[in-house]
Amino acid sequence: MQVQRVREQLIHNLRAAYARLWVRVKGGNREPQWLIAEMIIPILTLSAYIYMYKTLEAPPEFTGFVIIGGTMIAFWSNVLWNMSAQFYWEKETGNLEIYFVTPISRMAILLGMALGGIVNTTLRATAIMVAGILVFQVPLVINEPFTALLMFFLTITALYALGMLFASLFLMYGREAWHTANLLQEPVHFLSGSYFPKSLMPDMVQLVASLIPLTFGLDGIRQIVILGKGFSDVWIDLVALTVFIIILLPLAKFALDYMENLGKKEGRLTLRWQ
Amino acid sequence: MNTVLRTVKQAIWVGWKVETNWADPFVFSIYYLIRPLAGLLIVGFIFIIGSTASGGQLSPEYFAFMFIGNSFFIYVSQIMMTMSMLIHDDRAHYEVMKHIYLAPGSLAWYILGRALNGVMNATVSLLLTLGFGVAVFQGLMNVQIPINWSGIDFGLLLLNLVLGIVCFIAMGYVLCGINIMTSKVQFMLTEYVSGILYLFGGVVFLPEILPQWGQTISSALPITYFLRIMRYAFLHQSPSVVEMDLLYLVLTMIATIIVGFGVFRIAMYKARRDGLIDKKEEY
Repeated sequence: MQVQRVREQLIHNLRAAYARLWVRVKGGNREPQWLIAEMIIPILTLSAYIYMYKTLEAPPEFTGFVIIGGTMIAFWSNVLWNMSAQFYWEKETGNLEIYFVTPISRMAILLGMALGGIVNTTLRATAIMVAGILVFQVPLVINEPFTALLMFFLTITALYALGMLFASLFLMYGREAWHTANLLQEPVHFLSGSYFPKSLMPDMVQLVASLIPLTFGLDGIRQIVILGKGFSDVWIDLVALTVFIIILLPLAKFALDYMENLGKKEGRLTLRWQ
Repeated sequence: MNTVLRTVKQAIWVGWKVETNWADPFVFSIYYLIRPLAGLLIVGFIFIIGSTASGGQLSPEYFAFMFIGNSFFIYVSQIMMTMSMLIHDDRAHYEVMKHIYLAPGSLAWYILGRALNGVMNATVSLLLTLGFGVAVFQGLMNVQIPINWSGIDFGLLLLNLVLGIVCFIAMGYVLCGINIMTSKVQFMLTEYVSGILYLFGGVVFLPEILPQWGQTISSALPITYFLRIMRYAFLHQSPSVVEMDLLYLVLTMIATIIVGFGVFRIAMYKARRDGLIDKKEEY
């Protein structure tokens, strides 16, 4: 009887996650101009940085570093605006209260948003990477494709787990959500070494950067894809990302429950225009 | 005239409140410092790491070129962001556009006031970024920035700043016009315009390194001349004659004003005709 109920709940939540995924994929791709913009705009910025390296006559692998960084930033932007700030948008549009009265876990909603975001962003990130590689003629040296895929999978999982944690924190925000999401763009691009290898940054900056999963993911993916290294060279990055996932997922669940209760007590879950 | 001045003044005040009253002044200052400073740190580290990797010496002249370009680009990003978001915010989010439209002051003057508030915010960001930028790079990282701060040509700087800001506000009117005719494109418009100006405007590298078609685009953009003159005012060196740059800046400014206000007027006419002034977008 108990097993049957757990099974029913699981199916129920998976259906909710799929429904939210479907909305995200459908909504994210229904406007062709959004799709094109999300592919072109990152290329503009990363091109500027590539031309800077060309001006400085830096080795060609730095162009590859920038392209991989620009590609992964697409995921970070998605985590920030479409995961972290999503409950704020939902509150403003009146959807949040509907989520809360349905008999499903909030984590199922977040899972659906994350999976939908991953599908959408992977499409865009692939286009950014292919365009960058073709335009700037970056040679890829991939000796261990499965290690590359594992690194990518762990990076994305850790990033979206962080997004789930932020989503619960942003739940209480009014306009601060917008400013906070804005604030977490360039500083994270800088700290994670999106446009240069983290190993060349000062020790103090590297220490702060190690609090961000993107730092390890970027470092690992660059080593495998641009420098042709393998598992034995990037295992520390893989371990770090796994630790992030193990910590962040339960923390997200805890934070979500806590913030929901706090929101109910303070009457802020349905408050608009804060 | 009184109505115009009052509209602009009130719009600046409203803009200031909307932008700042979600936080106390200290938190607000931190928010307005961190993002542009992080942008400066990115290009600063690209400079240091790229120079080291190429085995060459750090070029203080190139650092100063990039430092000035990236810092003054704050005006572009801030004005574009403010002017692109305000139609969406006032019409769809806070639903006050129809009231502003019905008030005695013109919407165009209200937008100007909001844009000027963006200029004020950008100035705060610029001053903080310049100060912290010098402290971080020159003070902590020993990168020499060859700027003689007492020898800055303030007259030229001020003139250039006024001309540049007029240009950027005129571009912002184009964004307002497009936003009033469309829905939910405000984010991408800001990013498109800022991205194009950042890449082709000679912000962090000389446009001469771009392909020929890129150089053509660069020479048609007012920001290219704005930044050249700004660098001349700070560094007293320029690849071209500064009077010619001023002339090109004025010419591109006039063209931008004509296009900006033309697009805005047409958009307002069509918006009124098609009932878009109070259009809702799920809020």
